[in-house]
Amino acid sequence: MLSWYGRHGTDAYDLADRLPRGRGRVAAWNAYVCQTYADKLAESCRHAPNEAASYARALYDLACHWLERAQAPDGRLDLVLPSWGSLVRSEEELVAMRDTLTALRTYVAFEIGEDDPRLTAVDEQIATVDELWIPRPTPEIRAGIGTALIMGIEKAVELGGTVALG
Amino acid sequence: MTSPTGDYWELYVSKTALPRWSGSDAQFGWDGTLIGLPIALGAAVWFSLVLPLGRVLMLLPLAMVRGHRSRAVRIEAVKNFPRREVLLWTTTDGHLPRVLDEVAAGLSEGMIARPVGAVYTGAE
Repeated sequence: MLSWYGRHGTDAYDLADRLPRGRGRVAAWNAYVCQTYADKLAESCRHAPNEAASYARALYDLACHWLERAQAPDGRLDLVLPSWGSLVRSEEELVAMRDTLTALRTYVAFEIGEDDPRLTAVDEQIATVDELWIPRPTPEIRAGIGTALIMGIEKAVELGGTVALG
Repeated sequence: MTSPTGDYWELYVSKTALPRWSGSDAQFGWDGTLIGLPIALGAAVWFSLVLPLGRVLMLLPLAMVRGHRSRAVRIEAVKNFPRREVLLWTTTDGHLPRVLDEVAAGLSEGMIARPVGAVYTGAE
């Protein structure tokens, strides 16, 4: 069901590369973020679909919304990701979030270069995650990792949007 | 350690999160009859002591196994006067010595440290 949902937004993977820098590319970047995040969740949480399915569906809907907006990007272009209902994430959700953050960072770093100091804010959150990442984490540790991942993803989204705007 | 305001904090390190004590909030009223008194007393003891204790004893082995399988470590700072206060940090065994030092240093300066490699959960 989720994979069917996700097919509608697959254009998000290359649309940002095809558009010139500007507002359309920002919208395409937002679509890329949502589609990547949702696909990672769908992939990682395949065996526990109920926990992340509603979140992934919301992201797929957002990806389609931003793909449409990339054609006529008027109004505000800030991406507001859906809020998780609770603080503690499952291990599968954390894996998906970490993979998403890695993918977003790689994308942005390719655009601006590995040495760009603007990546520091993202890298600090990745370092926090790495410090806490252990097998069988307790709920407190998972909450800490989840918070750092959310902050890292938000910083990567913001930086990617700035770069896409040019 | 003692904070600048004179608060005395004790630090405890453990790998096990003890099961929460969840006694009943129900009121066990006595209806005034002679036969009602032992029933009310028995119910109060049963629901406020025996059942919660049984629950803790049942969950304790599981909590200990979980704690020892995980690399997570709990640091609890406990202050008993003027009122009991418990602050909780969770870290990993690799970061424990440094995090413990930073927590202790923070408390002795009257601050709550937020060390890298640890999660501060707040007051328990």
